[in-house]
Amino acid sequence: MAVPDIFYVEDNEDFVDVVERAIGQIDDTTVLRTIDDGALALNTLEKLAEDKAKPKLILIDLNLPGLSGLDLLRRIKETQALRYVPIVMFSTSDNPKDIRSSLEFGANAYVTKPLGYANLVKCLSAMHDFWLKTSSSVA
Amino acid sequence: MTDYQVDLTNCDREPIHIPGKVQAHGFLVAVDNQFVISYVSENIHAFLPAQAADLLGQKVTTLENLLLQGEETGFISQLLLLGRHTKSFETINPYKVVINGADYNLILSQTGPYFLLEFEPDSTATEVDIHKTIGRSVSEMLAGKQLKQLLDNAAQQVKQLIGYDRIMIYKFLDDGHGEVIAEVKEDHLDPFFGLHYPATDIPKQARDLYKKNLTRIITDVNAESSPILGLAAHGEVKPLDLTCSALRAVSPIHIQYLKNMGVASSFSISLMYRDELWGLIACHNYSPRFINYKAREASKLIGQIISSALEYKQDEANSQKNDQFKAAYNVLSDTLRKGGDIAEAITQHETNILSITDATGAVLVYEDKITTLGQTPDKDDLEALINWLKKNMEDRIYYTHQLPEVYQPAKGFSGMASGILACTLSKEMGELIAWFKPEQLSTVNWAGNPNKPVEVDEHGVVTLSPRRSFDVWQETVRNSSERWTREEIANVLKLRDEVVFAINRQANEIRVLNEKLKQAYEELDTFSFTISHDLRTPLSTIKNYSELLLEANQSLDDDARRILGKVIAGADKLNFLIKEVLNYSRVGRIDLDYTEIDMKALVQEIKNDLVVALNINNLQFEIGETPALYGDQTMVTQVFANLLNNAIKYSAKSNPPKVRVDGKETSSEVIYSISDNGIGIDLNYYNRIFDLFKRMDNVRGYEGTGVGLAIVKRIIEKHNARIWVESELGAGTVFYVAFKRNV
Repeated sequence: MAVPDIFYVEDNEDFVDVVERAIGQIDDTTVLRTIDDGALALNTLEKLAEDKAKPKLILIDLNLPGLSGLDLLRRIKETQALRYVPIVMFSTSDNPKDIRSSLEFGANAYVTKPLGYANLVKCLSAMHDFWLKTSSSVA
Repeated sequence: MTDYQVDLTNCDREPIHIPGKVQAHGFLVAVDNQFVISYVSENIHAFLPAQAADLLGQKVTTLENLLLQGEETGFISQLLLLGRHTKSFETINPYKVVINGADYNLILSQTGPYFLLEFEPDSTATEVDIHKTIGRSVSEMLAGKQLKQLLDNAAQQVKQLIGYDRIMIYKFLDDGHGEVIAEVKEDHLDPFFGLHYPATDIPKQARDLYKKNLTRIITDVNAESSPILGLAAHGEVKPLDLTCSALRAVSPIHIQYLKNMGVASSFSISLMYRDELWGLIACHNYSPRFINYKAREASKLIGQIISSALEYKQDEANSQKNDQFKAAYNVLSDTLRKGGDIAEAITQHETNILSITDATGAVLVYEDKITTLGQTPDKDDLEALINWLKKNMEDRIYYTHQLPEVYQPAKGFSGMASGILACTLSKEMGELIAWFKPEQLSTVNWAGNPNKPVEVDEHGVVTLSPRRSFDVWQETVRNSSERWTREEIANVLKLRDEVVFAINRQANEIRVLNEKLKQAYEELDTFSFTISHDLRTPLSTIKNYSELLLEANQSLDDDARRILGKVIAGADKLNFLIKEVLNYSRVGRIDLDYTEIDMKALVQEIKNDLVVALNINNLQFEIGETPALYGDQTMVTQVFANLLNNAIKYSAKSNPPKVRVDGKETSSEVIYSISDNGIGIDLNYYNRIFDLFKRMDNVRGYEGTGVGLAIVKRIIEKHNARIWVESELGAGTVFYVAFKRNV
């Protein structure tokens, strides 16, 4: 299996579909891997780390089955091999409380999901540009 | 005496326990601890072959030798030693001595460092053998079932035992004045029964003496009393305290008083009730009369028996009513403990606050409400009275049976409330309960006009003199109610405790409710964010796929594209609405972060945003004065954004649309006005424009959610600021917001 560029944890099928389409539209060489369960996501990430196949960016929704977005975030940041992989929390919520706790748990950024496909393409394009093309990594 | 403030209360200052004289029917010797003669009454020479002055400084043996015909010296010293040892002379008194062939009683007592030796005749005016008859007398007395009967019997028995022309039972009332409540007299005498005597007739220190020395004999008001000579210490003779003396001379004022009454001799027995002087058995004789020590002691015993009978007879008389009050109190207390509305519990049932006293009216002032029961003064009078009580009540309880005497306006409603008994529930809140008793017009028969105690003699000198006339002087007492009894007051105090307890408990309940409300608020907060998330997710699906459809399918015809446009617009509108509701709910939860706000920048920025967003071409936007506001920057921005948005939106169709923002400072506030020349607001609906989701009929053609002004109002309230509006349909609207200045 190819090394994922973006590891996306999201349980809403529709949104996963739309994000896949958008990423495909932005850059069809970007490998997107999606998982719909928090606990499963952690397992998968640990295996990827063992195989030296860590993603360049992890996107996490807040509300997840298995392990909540915040718990997943915390566990990844506690995992030595994964702690420097940039994580962007990607949620519908714009509640300051959610934003604050995400940042406190070590999220590298918090992005509120934009409404509409056009806005989504703009938003993902900006993230793609920054986290995959611009920022330097040690992971 | 003329340098006194003339008033019979002067009597209060006369030191009657140290008159420096004794009555002349006996003589007095006082010895100190060493049994050295320190005081002698001058009249000793009338009884013994000695001069008072010669005896001073001598040992008591000198006196013994004078008394002794045959007996051994040292008998007085032995009596004194015995008394000192047993700390009482009760068992020794009286000691019989014979002087010039006549029997005398020696009565010993102690006063401070001195021992009093009083010698008085054993001969007595009493005819019956008291020791034989007293037992029967006592049983006759106690046969009376009612207090009244008991006292009538007592007067009768006392007259039989010790004679005297008139025996009266005199009762002290609350204010110290007295009333004759039982009388037995010689037929030819005018009755004194039912007469009242002012408190000044028996001044305070006299009443104190009556409490300490339970009998008092005045043998002959016309006999000259005999001065007491004393040993001088440091060139000064200290007066001898005669409180416990039997021979103590009588105050000249009292002598005059008796003379004015025509009385030649008197004897009185104290009646005590719970350690207070309840009354006197007063015996008058119209010729001099002396009864000996034993007769007086027997009388004292009768007084003590009546005193103890008073305790239970008095209690019995009160008890039936008190039982009813107590039962009512218990009902109220139970009702209060069940919880619920306090005012309702104590005023709205068959047993209410009226039931715990004999009052005919009551008022409860609680939680800014006045509840009346029974007969109470009119609303205005009552409110004034309540205010007076709030201002003047220092203690938790206040009562009087003569309210109009202390509170003038009460004269206007004395019929309703001459008596008042009030207790505070909360002094800070001005909460209280008061009970009323109606006026009781009564006629008091005074023994002489009690208001004229002063006389002016022919030289114009004002002298203090007891009144000369004891003719019945009638007074109608107004503005007075029946007195409040001790039990009524006790019940009120108990009820007050119970109510205060219930109030405190309720306050706790409210605190718990408040906690729950807070919790519910927090839950609501969580709920609104959760629901917004849950609502937004399907919403985003709708919008995303609509847009995708538009973008990816070039084959769609124009109609399909227009339909998809509508779907997208609907999704946008729903999204906006969700956001606004979230904003609204957030205002209530977030703590304010007060800063000094640069209003010029704030208004300018909002204007720029709105001009772009609303795209009104010919808008005339004016900014006047912009004094700084003190508030939460984000929220104040929301207020002005909403108000300006409305102003521009609703004037968009005017030509040209004019919007103006202007601020001014007053001493306490900064007031901004936001005016437009738009469609205006129908002020009949003024109260509703700030309601959530409320939109006026004339704004149908305009975009809006009905949340904007509700948010504005919440923010204003949160700042303790004010908002109001002036408007005319079709002419325009002015919103005013006034924020408190930063002090």
